[in-house]
Amino acid sequence: MRERFLTGYNDFVLPFVCGMIFVLIYCLVGLVRIILQLPAEDRKRFFISLVTPKTLVKNIKDIFLKCLIHVDIWKRNKLLGYMHSSIAFGWFMLIVVGHIEVMLYTSRLGLKALYYPIFFRYFVAETESTMKGSLIFFLMDFFLLVVLSGIALAIIKRVRSRLFGMRRTTNPSFLDLIGQYSLWSIFPLRLLAESFTADISGGSFLTKSLNYVFTEFLSNHANMLPAWWAYSCALGIFFFVLPFTRYMHIPTEILLIPFRNAGIKIVNARKGFAKAQVYSCPSCGLCIDACPMGVLKGNIKDTTVYLNRQIRRNNETRIEEISDKCLLCGKCTAICPVGVEGDKLRIAQRAVRKYNFGPDYSNIDVSEEIQRCNKFVTNQNNIVSSSDNEKVLYFGGCMTALTPAIMKATGSVLEKAGIEFEIMDKDGGICCGRPMFMAGRFAQAMQLVEKNTEIIMSSGADTLLLSCPICYKIFLEKYHLPGIEIIHHTEYFERLILSGRLKVRKEAVRYVYHDPCELGRGCGVYEQPRTVLSAAGELVEAAKNRKESICCGGSLGSLTLGFEKRKAMTENALNNLVADSPERIVTACPLCMSTFNRYADRPVEDIAMVLDRTAY
Amino acid sequence: MKENIVIVGGGIAGLEAAAQLLDLGYKPIIIEKSDHLGGHVADWNCLFPDMSPAKDVVSSLIARSAEANIFLNTEISFVNKLKDSYNIMLSNGISIITRILLMTTGFSLFDASKKEEYGYGIYDQVMTNKDLEHWFNTGDDKRINNSAMNAVGFVHCVGSRDEKARNPQCSKVCCITAIKQAIELKQKFPDAMVYCFYMDLRMFGKKYEDFYINAQRDYGIRFIRGRVSEVGENIDGRVIVKAEDTLSGKPVKVTLDLLVLMAGMVCNPDSTKVANMASLPIDSDGFLKSRDNVADIIESPKDGVFYAGACTGPKTVPETLAEARAAALKIYLYIKGLE
Repeated sequence: MRERFLTGYNDFVLPFVCGMIFVLIYCLVGLVRIILQLPAEDRKRFFISLVTPKTLVKNIKDIFLKCLIHVDIWKRNKLLGYMHSSIAFGWFMLIVVGHIEVMLYTSRLGLKALYYPIFFRYFVAETESTMKGSLIFFLMDFFLLVVLSGIALAIIKRVRSRLFGMRRTTNPSFLDLIGQYSLWSIFPLRLLAESFTADISGGSFLTKSLNYVFTEFLSNHANMLPAWWAYSCALGIFFFVLPFTRYMHIPTEILLIPFRNAGIKIVNARKGFAKAQVYSCPSCGLCIDACPMGVLKGNIKDTTVYLNRQIRRNNETRIEEISDKCLLCGKCTAICPVGVEGDKLRIAQRAVRKYNFGPDYSNIDVSEEIQRCNKFVTNQNNIVSSSDNEKVLYFGGCMTALTPAIMKATGSVLEKAGIEFEIMDKDGGICCGRPMFMAGRFAQAMQLVEKNTEIIMSSGADTLLLSCPICYKIFLEKYHLPGIEIIHHTEYFERLILSGRLKVRKEAVRYVYHDPCELGRGCGVYEQPRTVLSAAGELVEAAKNRKESICCGGSLGSLTLGFEKRKAMTENALNNLVADSPERIVTACPLCMSTFNRYADRPVEDIAMVLDRTAY
Repeated sequence: MKENIVIVGGGIAGLEAAAQLLDLGYKPIIIEKSDHLGGHVADWNCLFPDMSPAKDVVSSLIARSAEANIFLNTEISFVNKLKDSYNIMLSNGISIITRILLMTTGFSLFDASKKEEYGYGIYDQVMTNKDLEHWFNTGDDKRINNSAMNAVGFVHCVGSRDEKARNPQCSKVCCITAIKQAIELKQKFPDAMVYCFYMDLRMFGKKYEDFYINAQRDYGIRFIRGRVSEVGENIDGRVIVKAEDTLSGKPVKVTLDLLVLMAGMVCNPDSTKVANMASLPIDSDGFLKSRDNVADIIESPKDGVFYAGACTGPKTVPETLAEARAAALKIYLYIKGLE
C-alpha cells in the first residue's frame, strides 16, 4: 500500500475538517460550561467518580452498552434495537478500524491525521497482488454494510413507525431534517466514493464488487472527485448542524452517563445535570406513546421530547405550559432509553417560578396532634410498649380521608391481625407535603415535613404505616425518621400474610391490579400487592403493567389539566386494565381508586378492602 | 280513535299525560318497569311548599288514568323504526306498533355512595333524602333513634353541580327539599340542632323564599354556606362533619347524630337505553335532547316522539305536570295533523 499523492491533501477534505473542528470546539465549550454549572459539591463528586475504579468501569460499560449497543432499545423492540445499534456501533467501528488502518500503513501523519482515517481510500493505491490488510478492507466494507442496513431501516421507520413498535414518532424540526438527511446520505456517498477508487485503492466485497459491476460508470475516474466532495460535504453539513439538532445527544450522552453514575441529581432546571439531560434527548419519541396524556391528540406536543426541544429553544411560554400540564406519572422517565427524567425536569422547572406570596406553615401548632398520637408513650421520657407487638402509627393522609372505606378497612385488617395501632390523622392531620413538592414549592413542603416529623417522632411508634402512595413517596425520600420503619400498607399486609399473622381465604374472584404511579415507578413496589392479591383470589394482569402501568388520570401532578380532559385518560387506563376481563379492579392508592370509580364499569377497590373481606 | 299512543314510564308525567289523553278520547298504553305507578313521587311523603301529601297527588293521578292500558314490571326490549311508525317489543312478549311515543322516563337519584367522602354506605349515621322520606312514610329506619337526635345535618348538592361526580347540572329541587325536610325533622325533634351545608340556595319557585325565611326564623335551622370537605365517624358512631363557613371564613366541625345527603337528579340510564334504541339524541348533560330547549322542550327532533317531565332535565312536580299536559295536547294536534 502506498500513498498516491505527495502532498497527501485535496481540497475536498475541507468541509469535513471544518465541520469536525467546529463540533469539537462546540462540545468542549459545552462540556466546560456544564461542569462549571454544577453545584460545587456535585462537581467534586463527579471528579472523584471519574477516578474511582468502580464507577470508571461502570461508566465504560454503560457507555458501551447504552450509547453503542443500545441494549434498552433492544429489550423494547428487536428491529428498533438493531436499527440503533447498527448505525451507532457500525459507525463507531468504521472510525476505529479506519484509524487502525491509517496507523498501520502510513508514516509521518502530521496534520493529515485529521482527515486520513476518513478519506484514506482516496489517498492510497493498492495493487491486486499485494493486498496488504485485506482483513481490514473486509472489516471496513462489512461495517459499512451494517451501517447502511441501519440507515435503510431508519428510512423505513420514518414512513412506517409501527413496524418498530412505535405508534407515533416525533415531528422533526427543520434542522433535525437537515441533520437527518445529511446523516442518511453520508454512508451511501461513502460507498459511492470508495467504489470509485476501489480499483486504485483496493476494496473488499462491497466496494470492489460495485466497482466491477458498474464498471462503465465507476471506473471513469473523472467522476471520482465529485463523489468524494459530496461525501465530505455530507459529513461537513452533518457536523455543522449537529449542535442544533437532536444528534447532539450523541456526544452529550457520553457525559450524562458518568454524571448519573456519580449520583448527581437535578438542582437547577436549566443548568448542569438538567442541561445534560435535555441535550441527551435523541428525540426518539418513545415517550410520546408512553405519555398517558397522549390519548388526546392535542397533548402530544406536551410530552418530554417536546419539553426538551422547547428548553433548548428557550421558549419560556411553552416550557411553562408543558411543565405545568404534566401528570408526573414518571412513565416517560421509566421507558426513556437515555434516562431523561421528564418528571424531575418539570418539577425543577416549576420550582423556578416566583410567587408573590405563599402560605407559611411554620407556625402551625402541633401540640394537640402530639397529645392525640401519644398512645405508645406513658410519660415524657419513658416509652413503654404495652406488649411485644410493634407499635404502628397509621397515617391515612388527605386522600384516604376522602375515601373513608380504605381507612376503615385498613383498621379492620390490622385488628384482625392483632396489631396495636394508632391513627395519626383521625381527626384531621397535616399534609405530607408531596403536593407542594410536586408544585415545585420545596420550602413550603419542607415546613410540612418538619411538622409531621415532630408529631411522628414524639409518638413513640416504631412503624409508620401509610395507605397513600403519594404520601409514601415523600416519606421515603424527604423524611428523616430515625428508628421508625416507613411502610406502605401493601408491603405491610404482605408481611402479615407471609408471617402467618393474617389468614386469607382465597375466593374465586378475578382481580386485576393497577400499579399506582407513585407506588410502582415512584417507590418500586410491584410484587407485594400482587402477592397479597394472589392470596385472596385469582390475579390477572393488565395489558400494560408494572413499570409501564398507565396513570389513572387523577394525579395531583398536573397543575392545569382540566377535568374533562382527564376523563379520556381515565377511560384509556381502564381499557388497559380490563384487557384480561377481571371481575374487580384493585389498586393501592386512594386517588386512583376514586378516579377509576367515576368511570369504571366494574367495582374498583383498594387492596385493604379486598383483604378486609377475605382475611380472618 | 284507534291511534296507539305509547307512554314510556308510569311516573307522574306519564300518568298525567295518560289522564289528559283519556279525556281527549284516546286510550294510551303506559309501560312501567317497576311494580307500581307514581315513580319517585310515590316514594315521597310531603311536597313543598304547602306540605301536600304526595300520596294524594299520586292516587288522584292513578285514578284519573285508570282506563289506560297499563303494563307494570315491563321493560322495552327493543324498538324498530318502521317507515312512519315504531315497532316496540316489550319484555312480556307483546309488541306494539305505534306512530306516537311519549317519553316520560324521568330521572335517577344520584348514587350517594359515589361521593365516598360523605360516607354513605360506610358510616352508619349517613342517609339520603330518599331514605329520610322513606322514614317519614314508614317510621322504619334504624339510623334514626327517636331518643337521641340532638344534631342533624343536611348536605346540599350531593352529586349536583359537581363536575367530579360527572353531574355539572343543578338538580333544582334539592335546596327546597332540604329546607322542607329540615323543617319536618325539626317538627319531630324540636330540641335538635339542624344544620344545612349549602353552596348556594336557589329559592326560585312560588313561596320558596317564604319557606326559607320560615326555616330560619320559626325553626331556627342553621344555614352554613360552604361545602362539606369530609365526614368522619366518632367512636360512638356519630358522624363528624368538617366544612368551611365561607361567610365567616372559618372552618367548622360539628358532631351529628344524623347526616342527610341531598342526592341530586341524574339522567336515568334506562331512559338513555330506550333513547339509543329509538335513535333519539342525548344532550350534553346526559338527559334527552329536545328539539329546542326554549320553544320545543317537549318535542324530540324526531316526528312522533315527545317528552314530558324530568327525562329532559331536573324538574319540580308542577313543572312536570304542566309539561305532561302540554305533551298530551301536542300529541292530540299531531294526530289531527296526520289525518
